Amino acid sequence: MITDSIYLSELLERPILDKKGDAIGKIRDLNVVPGDPFPCVEGLYIRTPGGTAYVSMKEINVLNKRVVTIRGDVGSIVYAEPREKEILIAKHIMDKQIVDVNGVKVVRVNDVQLGQVNDHFGMLAIDVGFGGLIRRLGFGKARKGTLIPWQYVTTLEPGLDRLTLTMTRKSLAEMHPVDMAEILSQVSMQERTALLSSLDEETAGDVIGELDDETAAKIINEMEPEKAADVLEHMDPDEAADVLGDLPEKKAVELLSRMDKEEAEEVRELLEHDEDTAGGLMTTDYVCFPPDMTTEEVMKDLRLLAPDIEMIYYLYVVDKEERLLGVLSLKDLILASPKALLGGIMRTNPKRVFATEDKKEVAEMVSRYNLYAIPVVDEQDHILGIITVDDVVDMLLPTPLRKKR
Amino acid sequence: MLKWLRTIDRKSLLFFLSIVGPGFITANVDNDAAGITTYSVAGSHYGYALLWSFIPMLALLIIVQEMVARLGVVTGKGLSDLIREEYGVKTTVFVMFALLITNLGTCAAEFAGLAASLEIFGISRYISVPLACGVIWVLVVKGNYKTVERVFLGACIIYFSYILSGFMAKPDWAEVARHTVIPTFHMDTAFVGLLIGMVGTTISPWMQFYQQASIVEKNVRIEDYRFVRWDVILGCIMASMVAFFIVMACGATLHVNGIIINNAEDAALALTPLAGEFAKLLFAVGLVNASLFAATILPLSTTYTICEGMGWESGVNKEFSEAPQFMGLYTGLILFSGGLILIPGAPLIKIMLVSQVVNGVLLPFVLVFILLLINKKDLMGTYVNGRINNWISWLSVAVLIGLSIALIVLAVRQMIAG
Repeated sequence: MITDSIYLSELLERPILDKKGDAIGKIRDLNVVPGDPFPCVEGLYIRTPGGTAYVSMKEINVLNKRVVTIRGDVGSIVYAEPREKEILIAKHIMDKQIVDVNGVKVVRVNDVQLGQVNDHFGMLAIDVGFGGLIRRLGFGKARKGTLIPWQYVTTLEPGLDRLTLTMTRKSLAEMHPVDMAEILSQVSMQERTALLSSLDEETAGDVIGELDDETAAKIINEMEPEKAADVLEHMDPDEAADVLGDLPEKKAVELLSRMDKEEAEEVRELLEHDEDTAGGLMTTDYVCFPPDMTTEEVMKDLRLLAPDIEMIYYLYVVDKEERLLGVLSLKDLILASPKALLGGIMRTNPKRVFATEDKKEVAEMVSRYNLYAIPVVDEQDHILGIITVDDVVDMLLPTPLRKKR
Repeated sequence: MLKWLRTIDRKSLLFFLSIVGPGFITANVDNDAAGITTYSVAGSHYGYALLWSFIPMLALLIIVQEMVARLGVVTGKGLSDLIREEYGVKTTVFVMFALLITNLGTCAAEFAGLAASLEIFGISRYISVPLACGVIWVLVVKGNYKTVERVFLGACIIYFSYILSGFMAKPDWAEVARHTVIPTFHMDTAFVGLLIGMVGTTISPWMQFYQQASIVEKNVRIEDYRFVRWDVILGCIMASMVAFFIVMACGATLHVNGIIINNAEDAALALTPLAGEFAKLLFAVGLVNASLFAATILPLSTTYTICEGMGWESGVNKEFSEAPQFMGLYTGLILFSGGLILIPGAPLIKIMLVSQVVNGVLLPFVLVFILLLINKKDLMGTYVNGRINNWISWLSVAVLIGLSIALIVLAVRQMIAG
């Protein structure tokens, strides 16, 4: 008979009896293995006078709040120490930090709720509330906890990630990059690396792009170079450049050489600009077309280009040498007749900034002319990139993603 | 004009500067109101006789702070996190509760120091303390702590005012040198008490929590640990030097003229006729800075430490409803400790003594935890203490524990006596 629900704190240090009712020892820890819909308890480690013993769950006869007994007698006990890779609840999960995927925050495990569902005895939920604390301190045993079901949590400790359920992994990957970055900023470097490695490159890139450059650079530096290069490829070139700019030069060069040639070239160009100037703020992801294309043709091209480009609201019109001639908005494009030439409907002499311009100046321009983006040009008016309004906002109101102490 | 500056390796310089801070700030903030009081009293009572103690004290300080820094860099976790994760809820609750009581007393001591030092400038404590409480609260909750930290790093320079006033006191340098190298010892309670007090005020429990947390914050990689170590060592040297000069300044002026003082503001006042108005000003400004510095960091650090250990939502940018324990504790700490010293006839000396006793009780536990943690292979890997290092560390800790037990005995005796 195994109880439907019991807290770990109610089991630890409890005596365990054999079939005759003689005490064998006290419960020290429980080992778990991955399972669905929750991790299953495989056995108990018992502290006995003769050393640590191991009792498999199959040998357990009764387990509830009052008594824990085994089917055999003392003589059948196997002595064994926990093995290297085994996951123990008290040692590896209790008191540790864990991510609440639903509530999007890092919480500490005050207690673990165990229980029997479909003939499996496993970890059902973690208790993160005050009740759990009180229970651990030995007051008010019956107090109800603040429970988070196991399917909504993911572990942070390296090596424990196999306990995270498939369903959780999915919702973790679906978390908004900003929320994910918030969580990353609350945990240690080691845990951060473990958490990020559970994401695919695309998501990881988005998340890293949301962190402040310094932290992002450190994370990239810690990663396997091959993986780091993959992640950088998936980031916006301007963000990748910001991160690489904060790395030691040798490391940055190494990562660039491992990246896809085209992506690396874009990033390299961006890296040449001082980070306090328009050049340092811009991205090379933008769309431009020659003036002799019709709106119909442009629409067709745009459908092919748009998936990889963040900002398509402004279309820049350039000559063969990529000199900036004019600009038109997506709205202008949609409203124009299909056969109209871009050169005819574009607005000439658009607002622009030089790559060497101070970034404060850029912010002022964007704000004064109510722009979503502003093109960056060199002295000969060649377009180099654009600065989008979100980067301007980030510059003016940096998100406080670092813990403030 | 700044063009040539850009040509130096800006990155690596910035990198070092970005890491410098925690060790430096921690060591300096340790020269708080209580510290400065102890040093001034020591100087006025015994002149240069206690100067030798700074050499072993510096060694002890560096040994302990280095271990804490290493724990922070290698594990990436704060000290309260580690205690919670390795030793469970009961231990954590005990340590956190003790820390809360200790730091509450220390906070009150800081506000008392602030009130006293501003009274030198003729500002009533009924104005200065509520104002300081408000400013500190707003600065941290509404402001950006990174900026606050930078201001503090700058404020460390103000501590040089003590070094300056040390020079202005025109000490007998040959005597100073002799007493620094050759130990003198008086077998009387007051002398031993001051000696212990000096060590006790130099190494306190909350410092360990604060330093480790702020090092973790910096996200330093293990490969860059050497920078952190330098930060810690330089900080310790600077803090010890400042303390040394306070003792020396008071020794050269007050002691020589037979003036005995019992607190730091007396020292500032007594300095005027001897070393001039400017020396007094320097001394008083130093005390204002030290109290304000510690009164800002201490409540915040305490709150973070406790909330992280207990697993409560924390962060100064959170709303009250999001992080009730955090905001409640932080606000409560400031209000309570500030309010305590505004009570007319509040037993300030008793409060300080009690806080010293609890500090003394707590320190051994914290130090033992640090040593146990730093020797855990599964936590520290190859960064555990070496055998010799361990030997020295355990010895240092034994010395500190012995001193702190002595401090408790002395303080309790003093409380009973007066």
